[in-house]
Amino acid sequence: MSVLSKKRMALLPGDTGKFAGILSGFILLLAVLPILTMIVMSFSGASNLDFPPSSYSLQWYKAAWHTFVAPDASDVLSLGQAMATSLLVSCLTMIFATLIAVPAAYALTRCEFRGKAVALQLMSLPLVFPMVVLGLALLLVFDSLPFHLTTSRLVIAHVILALPFVVKNCTAAMLSIGSEVEEAARMLGASPLRAIVDVVVPLMKSGILAGMLLAFIVSFNEFTVTYFLYTIDVMTVPIWMYSRTVSSLDPTVFSFAVLIVLIDFVLIWALEKLVGEGGVSF
Amino acid sequence: MTGLILENVEKHYGSACAVQDVNLHLPEGKLVCFLGPSGCGKTTLLRMIAGLETLSGGEIRLDGENIGHTPAHLRNFGMVFQSLALFPHMTVGENIAYPLKLRGVGKAEQKARVVELLELIQLQAMIDRPVAKLSGGQRQRVAIARAIASHPKILLLDEPLSALDAKLRESMQVEIRQLQQRLNITTIMVTHDQREAMTMADIVVVLGEHKVQQVGTPIEIYRHPANEFVADFIGSGNIFPATALGDGKVSLPGGDALQVPICSSIVVGQKVKMLIRPEDLQLSAPQATAGNRLLGKVTFVRDIGATIETTVECSGVTFTALSTPCQGIGLGIGHPVSVTLPVEACRVLGG
Repeated sequence: MSVLSKKRMALLPGDTGKFAGILSGFILLLAVLPILTMIVMSFSGASNLDFPPSSYSLQWYKAAWHTFVAPDASDVLSLGQAMATSLLVSCLTMIFATLIAVPAAYALTRCEFRGKAVALQLMSLPLVFPMVVLGLALLLVFDSLPFHLTTSRLVIAHVILALPFVVKNCTAAMLSIGSEVEEAARMLGASPLRAIVDVVVPLMKSGILAGMLLAFIVSFNEFTVTYFLYTIDVMTVPIWMYSRTVSSLDPTVFSFAVLIVLIDFVLIWALEKLVGEGGVSF
Repeated sequence: MTGLILENVEKHYGSACAVQDVNLHLPEGKLVCFLGPSGCGKTTLLRMIAGLETLSGGEIRLDGENIGHTPAHLRNFGMVFQSLALFPHMTVGENIAYPLKLRGVGKAEQKARVVELLELIQLQAMIDRPVAKLSGGQRQRVAIARAIASHPKILLLDEPLSALDAKLRESMQVEIRQLQQRLNITTIMVTHDQREAMTMADIVVVLGEHKVQQVGTPIEIYRHPANEFVADFIGSGNIFPATALGDGKVSLPGGDALQVPICSSIVVGQKVKMLIRPEDLQLSAPQATAGNRLLGKVTFVRDIGATIETTVECSGVTFTALSTPCQGIGLGIGHPVSVTLPVEACRVLGG
């Protein structure tokens, strides 16, 4: 009897069978493997990229610190300078993408206008457009301008790339806000703009914050498009790491990468915390 | 003229008509109900009065001033929405204080008014609660308090009780009515529930087929429906065809003649629709046809405890009669029965 009931229990949907456990473990391992390799390599005691390393030390972290404060012989910029650029670009991207996305999300949910469907399609174009072509196209555009842009052209490119994510999150938040609360605010004496500021934006808060953090992460990790647009004295961290890897192939980059993964982890954790059960749409 | 006046108000969405030919005078201090089936345009009409919809034509005047194109936030009308639309990111106190804050009322004064309103709705202890932590009835009261906080000229209620369960709805109907009378505030309420309209309203505006069908007190609407639409929509009624014979008489499809109140606009030979309410029909043991007493046959009996609904076929018409158990004469399906239609209970419906 008890055997029978146990068998029956295992058939219930939602019960985690052995198979599901093994499968999810395998998938997790696949996802974590590169990061594990990277962490192991960063503690290598050797000066080549053999895996697994023959000995272990902290020497590459020391080397990483040196390149952070001042450029190595093989580098033009120090990692610190690249990091400063990256942070600046990411913060500006976050701010501008949000300033564009919040009104855009409002218009896309509340207003009916000609070409709304087209606008929605265009909004997610950067997600499917080949990055290399986008980078090249942007480079051509910026080079044809009569004036010279450096940091700002990175910001413009990153805003384009981050916008779909921010708009998507803000739109999702907007959709959950009924138009009646906004109308209620108007009836109570708030002008249309005031109603948006007092009622709609506070209720969109979690979506906006999620979008902001995503914009930051997208910008901070962006490589392909940035590769076309960086200049010799304005470099982001991924570009710096790439050129470092090309010029001198040693495990220093892995030490940096561990640091960056840590930063990303903290950001994603913060994202989940901020948004809570609302969920983030990537 | 004081009060709210609607003149030839109409609203079209493209070629589709939502409401048209609306001419109403809503006197000050009264509670007016817009009553009608869903899709009749009653909510659209309310939203036009609120300023949340533009007018396609006509004028809305408040105390002589045309407000048809004044933006909603400058009208100073209170409104309670169907979903209540409380601000979930604010506490009860902040919700109620919001209209005062917008009007630049000082902090201390805001607080005093909030306390006064909470006393009025008996939720003094809830001032710092988030609105999500309130029960349905409490939210309802907060929504009303917020709507009247800035002493609006008119209070608009858009099916405000539809989210509540039946029992709570009944008690809130009485509560809102008492509050409205105490504050003496002109109130317009939209509802599709006629019981609600009968309980609360001074004036009922029956809307149907995108038009105003009848305006009157609840009893007028019930006892003297202007047309077939109103007769059919309000309460249950036996509506049956007849032909005018003159001299206050009509003939039924089965040939029997019926004495009805004299209606001067009807000419001899005209086909008319008649109404008699089920509670006005009198059933008795079968006797010979005389005057308004006709002979019929029982086709169905529905005894639901408090009342007995008897369906009788009589002179080519199917009538439903309502009686109380003590009036019951023990009828069963197929029994012959006499049906009396009192003269004053018969209504000739216009057209």
